[in-house]
Amino acid sequence: MTRLQLLAAGWLVSLASTWALAAGTPAGTSIQNTANVTYTVGGSQVTAPSNTTTLTVAERLDVNVTLESAPVSVRAGDVRRALLFRVTNTGNGSEAFRLSMTSAIGSDNFDPVPSSPAIYFDTDGSGDLSAGDTAYVAGSNDPVLAPDVFVSILIVNDIPAGLANGSIGRSRLTAQASTGTGAPGTVFPGQGTGGADAVAGSSGGTSNATGEYVVSDVSLTNVKSATVLDPFGGSEPMPGARITYQIVVSASGTGSAGNAVIDDAIPANTAFVAGSLRLNAALLTDAVDADAGEFIAGTSPAIRVRLGNLTAAAGAQTIVFQVTIN
Amino acid sequence: MTIAKGWLMALAACVLANAAAAADKGCIVVQNTAEVEQTTTDAKGVKTVKLVPAVKVVPGDTVIYTVTFRNVCTKPAENVSVDNPVPEHMAYIADSAVGPNTDVSFSIDGGYNFGKPEALRKKDADGTERAARPGEYTNIRWVMRHPLAAGAEAYARFRAVLE
Repeated sequence: MTRLQLLAAGWLVSLASTWALAAGTPAGTSIQNTANVTYTVGGSQVTAPSNTTTLTVAERLDVNVTLESAPVSVRAGDVRRALLFRVTNTGNGSEAFRLSMTSAIGSDNFDPVPSSPAIYFDTDGSGDLSAGDTAYVAGSNDPVLAPDVFVSILIVNDIPAGLANGSIGRSRLTAQASTGTGAPGTVFPGQGTGGADAVAGSSGGTSNATGEYVVSDVSLTNVKSATVLDPFGGSEPMPGARITYQIVVSASGTGSAGNAVIDDAIPANTAFVAGSLRLNAALLTDAVDADAGEFIAGTSPAIRVRLGNLTAAAGAQTIVFQVTIN
Repeated sequence: MTIAKGWLMALAACVLANAAAAADKGCIVVQNTAEVEQTTTDAKGVKTVKLVPAVKVVPGDTVIYTVTFRNVCTKPAENVSVDNPVPEHMAYIADSAVGPNTDVSFSIDGGYNFGKPEALRKKDADGTERAARPGEYTNIRWVMRHPLAAGAEAYARFRAVLE
């Protein structure tokens, strides 16, 4: 236990020092140096100071744009679908960044159509476009970032109709230091933080990242069947008889049904048989817990099974549960 | 015209020399410079590296500090040592401290104690002792092995990288 905590502390420390190094000494910092020479002449000791050298740290213009979203699953004809990016000021001075986007990129199967507006701040931090997000207007609300600070940005596109499953469309976000961009080492005299010079860093003051939409139409089919076993060994649906329901869920198409959840109501005048819920023959507890399913009691009782990201390749998923007739 | 200009320059040099002498009543005149390496490539692709005054530096740049000291008296100066702090925000680069005929030692406590690199130990927050990293050196000391003769000049130099 103690060992674990120590390890965790060490990790935090190393993380912190990495952050400190990312941006470096702040732009405008004055660095002075004075040396002393000590000597003796004729038996008396003398200390002679040197002149003082003064360096001013220039602003290094650097930025890093990273894609934060996995390829986004879309359907042909979808509108206003977002890709999430992060723009980080990796320079050493406060800097405003100009943002732009393009969806006209080669090497993909289709060009997503930029919405208008096409760039948003992920104001509410949801990771997707929502009502609370602020549209970006170039030159008007360019994000001003302190060193090491990032802002989350969404770029938004419509997906053309009539695309084949599996088609890939790409879209790119670019950020540029508003002071200027250029080959690493390019100097912008007097234009840095606090009137210091600005110098293009290794990024040249600009960075971009490209996100991806994947057209993935998928449909789920489920087939439900029931078998009755009465108290006398027959199959009469009489009070006391037990009904075994089987639901077979399968995905078709090229896509993935994200976080598929199957809810099935317990029919009126029947009661769920405790401990009878199974997924692919494996028993699931009735409680809401880490396993994939549960029985939901209450006025409208039901069973619920979470199938995760279901694809055709995963094959058919078989859910079984039992009820008794009251 | 040319004569007048030359005279003016001579006068200016005189004033500078007087100012230096007035500022330092002792026998050793000390000059400190901060420079950076500038690499130029000529048409044939040959690279030339020269030292130019450090005007603007950005994190990651290496600065070369050179202390030049000259004995302006007629007697030799004895027990000459140069102390130079590594400025804040700068990290000393291992093995870069040089000075002809000097013994170099380092401090990690702001100049109270000096030692050879192998003698400098740091304790981490968890109590583990380890060798101090060059970037943790706070001060550098050069001690001349021989007196500095009258009229002689020497230098002490180190490199540091801007954090």
